[in-house]
Amino acid sequence: MVLALLIAVPPAVALGVAAARRPRLAAVAVGTAGVIFTIPSLALFALLVGPLGLGTAPAVAALALYSVLPVLRNTVVGLHEVPPDAVEAARGMGMTEAQSLWRVRLPLALPVVVGGVRVAAVTAVGVATVAALVAAGGLGDSVFAGLRAGDSTEVLAATAVIAALALTVDGTLALVERWLRRGR
Amino acid sequence: MIRYEAVTKRYGDGPPALDGLTLEVPAGETCVLVGPSGGGKTTALKMVNRLVEPTSGRVLIDGRDVASTDPVILRRGIGYVIQQVGLFPHLDVAANVATVPKLLGWDRDRIEARVDELLDLVGLEPGTYRHRRPEELSGGQRQRVGVARALAADPPILLMDEPFGAVDPVTRARLQDEFLRVQRTLRRTVVLVTHDIDEALRLGDRLAVLATGGRLEQYATPAEVLARPATAFVADFVGAGRTLRRLDLLTVADALVPGRTTGGGPSVAPAATLADAMAALLTSDGPSVPVVDGGSVLGEVTLDSIRAALRESQVDVEVDVEVDT
Ligand SMILES: Nc1ncnc2c1ncn2[C@@H]1O[C@H](COP(=O)(O)OP(=O)(O)O)[C@@H](O)[C@H]1O
Ligand SMILES: [Mg+2]
Repeated sequence: MVLALLIAVPPAVALGVAAARRPRLAAVAVGTAGVIFTIPSLALFALLVGPLGLGTAPAVAALALYSVLPVLRNTVVGLHEVPPDAVEAARGMGMTEAQSLWRVRLPLALPVVVGGVRVAAVTAVGVATVAALVAAGGLGDSVFAGLRAGDSTEVLAATAVIAALALTVDGTLALVERWLRRGR
Repeated sequence: MIRYEAVTKRYGDGPPALDGLTLEVPAGETCVLVGPSGGGKTTALKMVNRLVEPTSGRVLIDGRDVASTDPVILRRGIGYVIQQVGLFPHLDVAANVATVPKLLGWDRDRIEARVDELLDLVGLEPGTYRHRRPEELSGGQRQRVGVARALAADPPILLMDEPFGAVDPVTRARLQDEFLRVQRTLRRTVVLVTHDIDEALRLGDRLAVLATGGRLEQYATPAEVLARPATAFVADFVGAGRTLRRLDLLTVADALVPGRTTGGGPSVAPAATLADAMAALLTSDGPSVPVVDGGSVLGEVTLDSIRAALRESQVDVEVDVEVDT
């Protein structure tokens, strides 16, 4: 799951940066990522098992694909919300486009981007459970094993752990987000 | 020295925002671009650091067309205070002020020393304010940081767009005083934009009055603009209070009748403005106000002597005009 996020976040942010000043590209990119996001996880796994086979690969690929939308969308939104006077000051004081991006625009957009990563991570925990179906292992195995055996205790225990995991991930990233926003 | 040569700017197909502006700002002087909103002041200002490119004409700095300098290099050598201050909200005061020195690759010790020096200069105690964030500052303090940031790399030219616009009148008056104090020692070439004629008269060595449509109506010293508005537009813009405003620009020394005084009541110093003297006259019982310099009486001012000073300064201006042309 962490691997999927590591794979997905940099290109999603890069695409967001490219799209932030090109409304048409933004519409196409966010639209496409949105379509992927709405494909049910089972269907997406089925599609990916074809080229990638069973195991971890299709699971990671699916999680990465799901992560693109929230991160991309929040990057675009975050960059749009950067105060125009700060961008103008950066330019007027002699920053190059790249310096203005790295020193002013991205740092100011970062809390919103992290908000996107947070949504992606929580989504990923849920989808990762279903990944057991493509033999990726993990906690989902316990859920499905329990279901097959009619062992409701195992199902409940595994579900509780998954829910706790999702809440922990969400809470941690929420703290990061709040820390980044301090005093804005 | 900054020189505009027949500079015109059109945005799209509309009417010009700036129409054939020609003027020269001598080195070390403050030129105030003043006029109603939409008169092309910001447009003219931003042409100096190439945030706006002219449609026709050119802008020269020390005889060199700015279009021939890479904009990034050009801008690092020009201080810029923007309209809404534009501090970086994610950086503390020190990092904001250090922006251009960092871009120029100064070493850390030099930057740190410079930041403290500048905070002192704009009246913010470095120990207290260095690590504050912009949102922890009052409007006036933000404006000061904006000015410190613009001065950081010691640029010979300073561009200021409504630098004291977003603060209350009391703070604005204080910031104006401090600007005058700093500029008296630093002597930068300053182009300052404002829509406030009083601010323009106070801060400018010269005023460029721009009308809607970007036409230059008059380019002259404050005294000349007040005494001899070049067009009906300028007269109207300067307003009905222009005689009273001229009293702000003249000092008691200009209207001094030396010798003894018969007046009692309030007294004034020779460096005070004639507006102060008028106020003292209006509140005193007699027809004159004593002029006192550190305990010794120099003489007095009367309504007649003030009238004479006004008349005389108008004559001075007319002589200036003839010399200019
Ligand atoms: N980037 C721009 N695009 C289109 N029109 C502009 C732009 N900047 C300024 N203008 C127009 O040019 C005119 C002059 O604007 P400006 O230079 O900002 O005047 P001022 O600073 O005197 O208020 C205005 O009519 C304004 O609407
Ligand atoms: Mg303006």
